[in-house]
Amino acid sequence: MRLRFDPSVETVRDEFRDWLGANRPAPAEMAADPALSTGHAPDWMRRWTRRMFDAGWLVPGWPPELGGRNAGPVETFVVLEELARARVPRTSNVQGLGIVAPSIVDYGTPEQVRDHAMPILRGEATACLGMSEPGAGSDLASLSTRAVLEGDPGSGEWVIDGQKVWTSGANYADFCFLFCRTEPDAPKHRGISILLVPMDTPGVTVRPLPEIVHPGEPDLNEVFLDSVRVPAANLVGRRGDGWAMANGSLAHERGMVWVNAVMGLEEALEQLVAQAPALLAGMEPAERALAADEIVRIAVDTQAARCLGQRGFAKLARGGSAPEQALMKWYASDCRQQVARVGADVLGAGSLESGGVPNDGHLAVDEPRGTWMEQYFHSFANTISAGTSEIQRNIVAEKVLGLPRG
Amino acid sequence: MDLEFTELQQELRDTARGVLASACPPSLVRGVFEATAGSEGADALWATVCGLDWPGLGLPEEHGGLGLGVVEVGVLVEELGRVTAPGPYLATVTQFVPAVRAAGSSFRLADVAAGTCTGTLAVAEHGRWAPGVAATRADRVGDGWRLRGTKSHVVDGATADELVVVARGDAGPGLFVVPAAEVVATPVESLDPTVPLATVELADVEVHGERVLVEPGDPASASAIGRALDEATVMMALSTVATCRSIFEATLAYAKDRHQFGRPIGSFQAVKHRLADCFLAVERAGALAWFAVLTVAEDDDRRPLAVAMAKSAAGDCAQLLSRDGLQLHGGIGFTWEHDLHFSLKRAVTGDLLLGGAAFHRARAAELMGLVPGHEGAA
Repeated sequence: MRLRFDPSVETVRDEFRDWLGANRPAPAEMAADPALSTGHAPDWMRRWTRRMFDAGWLVPGWPPELGGRNAGPVETFVVLEELARARVPRTSNVQGLGIVAPSIVDYGTPEQVRDHAMPILRGEATACLGMSEPGAGSDLASLSTRAVLEGDPGSGEWVIDGQKVWTSGANYADFCFLFCRTEPDAPKHRGISILLVPMDTPGVTVRPLPEIVHPGEPDLNEVFLDSVRVPAANLVGRRGDGWAMANGSLAHERGMVWVNAVMGLEEALEQLVAQAPALLAGMEPAERALAADEIVRIAVDTQAARCLGQRGFAKLARGGSAPEQALMKWYASDCRQQVARVGADVLGAGSLESGGVPNDGHLAVDEPRGTWMEQYFHSFANTISAGTSEIQRNIVAEKVLGLPRG
Repeated sequence: MDLEFTELQQELRDTARGVLASACPPSLVRGVFEATAGSEGADALWATVCGLDWPGLGLPEEHGGLGLGVVEVGVLVEELGRVTAPGPYLATVTQFVPAVRAAGSSFRLADVAAGTCTGTLAVAEHGRWAPGVAATRADRVGDGWRLRGTKSHVVDGATADELVVVARGDAGPGLFVVPAAEVVATPVESLDPTVPLATVELADVEVHGERVLVEPGDPASASAIGRALDEATVMMALSTVATCRSIFEATLAYAKDRHQFGRPIGSFQAVKHRLADCFLAVERAGALAWFAVLTVAEDDDRRPLAVAMAKSAAGDCAQLLSRDGLQLHGGIGFTWEHDLHFSLKRAVTGDLLLGGAAFHRARAAELMGLVPGHEGAA
């Protein structure tokens, strides 16, 4: 137990920091053409992802042919930390790099890796994740988008009918990693398969869903699938294994998904603490004390999120299990919401003024941005999506604490 | 930052846990609560603790210690807090020793390591913990100092052999060691007899020589007092979180075991969510406490703020766990016969000693520059 990593790890940090300084996209080009959705990769972003891939920094834990350098978990961790510190996203297509490409690498055929995973890793293509449906949100396993195989598994076609919703990035993505029911007679968790569906396939219709803030830059979409036909070879993994794959460990960066969320939280807190003295100085003593208390509370939470993440990571890096990890999504997203709320409260009625903070491209699309009050509303994206905070509590209670299902 | 134990630290934890399972069973704690067996149980436990060289675990070998560090001391503090162990360890090792060492002194450390001296630290007055507002006086007399005032809520104040006292001279606060025979200590009847409290009166007590740890006006005074209090405070946080973890574990087990409406009460979502929140509170406070321990161990600049945050989170945790632990146990947890109340009372004690959650948030607000600090605050 100690405050700093080994000197050898810090050497990797220094090496990466130097490389980042020389190769990062310029703030001006980022601000001129920001990513508009998690499926949208502006040209600078494509070139940047490719530079990281070529230099072996994109997914450090992977081998060079997949954009890595066979780095250990601690080295990977410091690279992610430095990226977040520099506020340069590896990609706008977070679900493509974080979930779709690794899943294809883990479960797909060599052709699927070549034609779908590699283009994501080289910044040439973006993917969306077709999971939620109007009738299947938190209860994802009850999804009803249906795929029927016509012909034989080698040369036939899947015919897909159904509807997805809340599909991030579908309005710009090149293909969809689509969860659909292929075994209608199997138990609901065993009847789901994953298909790769190019978004320009006839029968695919995307309707963006403008959000309550930044409505001009929608990330969420409805996706309608009407007799969509894809080759049988577009099945990822085995039939009926989709649910297991969705829950499978994406081991290459396991234990590190919190890094960006926590560093975004830390940055927001830093801004709040920088603004606070001027705002607090104008308050009466009682109001000032209460406002200071709100800021301290979220500062404690922010520090706790960092320490929880580091503690869980340290356990995983040693090959142990880390129950802390199950708390991170819920806790970090709640804290991010609260820091925005406190910012808005401390600012007072001034936080009702909107639109004053342009998108300068340095935040990932799913990170809260804008004024404090805009950030507050935007932050619900992360307390609702990918398992609401309430569902996360159930998961912790059942999977970590071993409480019986209700 | 590496916030996980080394293998040696894990071994120490496992050993301590094993020892305490038999050396400090709930029946021993009950004996302390009911005073049925005098102090025999606690004395036997202290003999075991001394036999294992735990009082000197974190002391340098030159003072007869084992030469381990603050982190290893923290490991023992957690294990002792977990079983709500009574005895002089907490006050001696996490309050007296840090005060002596922060002053650069080795006064009676060899005796502590040998298990022949116990000690404590007297900070609070009227239940207030900020050293900057101490009213107890230290006035020059000849080559020494004369102390006058009353200290409150001194852990082991009526039983410790030596008391480190924070007292204020014209030039600022200082630290002095006073032998038990020189003070009038009145035990306070308190909720948790495993952490006995006393009011300590100093009626013109004169101290000289090596008993003057930090003179008022010494430029190093504020930093020595700050360091001593920070170490004592973070250890109280660790102990408290460990106690909270045992409340949590007992409550979780009860929620799985207790059936109503034909199923375990832990299958109800209202109960599940409370337990998930409790789990978060314990993990959150534990992670903050260990980070703060590291800032003490490595003498990092972030120490004062990290300690204030850790103690406030330990307080939050104690408040939540004492509430939900009791509430979720239902009527059985409300009875004297059930052991739960030992840890409930220890948890709220740990929250409030050395400053509660609100006190430490206020301290953090000062350290973060959000509100003006008061003069002399260490």
